[in-house]
Amino acid sequence: MPKTDHAIELTDYERQDFSVCLGCKICASVCTVNDLDLSTNPQEMLQKLFLGKDVAADDPLVRFCTGCYRCTGACPWEIRIPDVVRALRQVHATESPFEKAFKGSVAIWGRVYEPYVLMRAVPFLLKGGYIKHMMRWMEYMGIHLPHKVKRT
Amino acid sequence: MEYGYYPGCSLTGSAHKLDKGIKKVFAKQGHTLKEIPDWNCCGAFEYGDRKELAGFSKKNLEKARGHFSEIVAPCPACYKNLREADEKREFAVTHPLDLFDEAFFAAMKQDRDLKGQVFTPYYGCILLRPKETAIRNNTVMEETITRFGGDVAGEAVKDRCCGGNQIFINKDVTEKLSRLVLDKSRGTIVVFCPLCHMAMKTFSGERKVVYYTDLLLYIMGENSTL
Repeated sequence: MPKTDHAIELTDYERQDFSVCLGCKICASVCTVNDLDLSTNPQEMLQKLFLGKDVAADDPLVRFCTGCYRCTGACPWEIRIPDVVRALRQVHATESPFEKAFKGSVAIWGRVYEPYVLMRAVPFLLKGGYIKHMMRWMEYMGIHLPHKVKRT
Repeated sequence: MEYGYYPGCSLTGSAHKLDKGIKKVFAKQGHTLKEIPDWNCCGAFEYGDRKELAGFSKKNLEKARGHFSEIVAPCPACYKNLREADEKREFAVTHPLDLFDEAFFAAMKQDRDLKGQVFTPYYGCILLRPKETAIRNNTVMEETITRFGGDVAGEAVKDRCCGGNQIFINKDVTEKLSRLVLDKSRGTIVVFCPLCHMAMKTFSGERKVVYYTDLLLYIMGENSTL
């Protein structure tokens, strides 16, 4: 099965749902990714999904979608493009170390325990030049122990 | 009135200021926030599988069942996930911004005003979109600022994306998007979302970034909230 089909299964959509796209490209005109001087057209992605073609992991929309839902707000059919992008990220397994740490914490405690996420993401934070922002993040720090959610 | 309270992970950690702020504002108005027992993470935006994502919030709704009918969730991501998981509308899942109405302000004790101060009320994305889960009054922050004599700026960018979602993935994306908002606005940035707070705070330089609850507490007479 192509990865795109598997991605669609993860959303609330079916492939034929994307046939309603009118090709108006209003999604592209409001897309936050285009504020980054990248050229992206979500409508093309919907077309690929409808035709059963693959959407690459390095597609600018897949990489940089911020999940702002401006496209959904503008779309005549209110198609939830960010939901589709998240499913594509999942099938392409392109999670960042931070996202992996987030999910790791949820798997252990049932909640996001930020000190754990930070610890696990340290190499990424060092390499990515995040340390210079630490001073501004002091107000976010606090000491608390993790709460473990009971398994049900 | 007693509300079920879903703080979510951020409010127990990096957004502890919002947690304290909300609790204080509600307490001052005579309302009680009672935490959903043993709540779990809502999954935020990290899960590509819609069923898996909804599963987290469905568990939280189960834990609230029998205890509460109205649930308050301040974090926009938690609020959206809970609302979407409550398919049968069994609960009134409410964002606090929808509770700051005429009756709230009529009952509020005012100690200070905002005269001579400029604010940019910044909503970001999830409070306003998608429309099924958007807050009812999308000018509530502006109304608060003008009601107490402050000046409102930055209307054109109030619903733009700060890129906070990408801050720990590609922070250059967040920097560029946050700067777009900062450059087209003036004064203190007023936010409600913990992620918007972090994105704005990281790149705001000398500009102040505060939670809406800080603004309310300042008006109510609390010290050093602005």
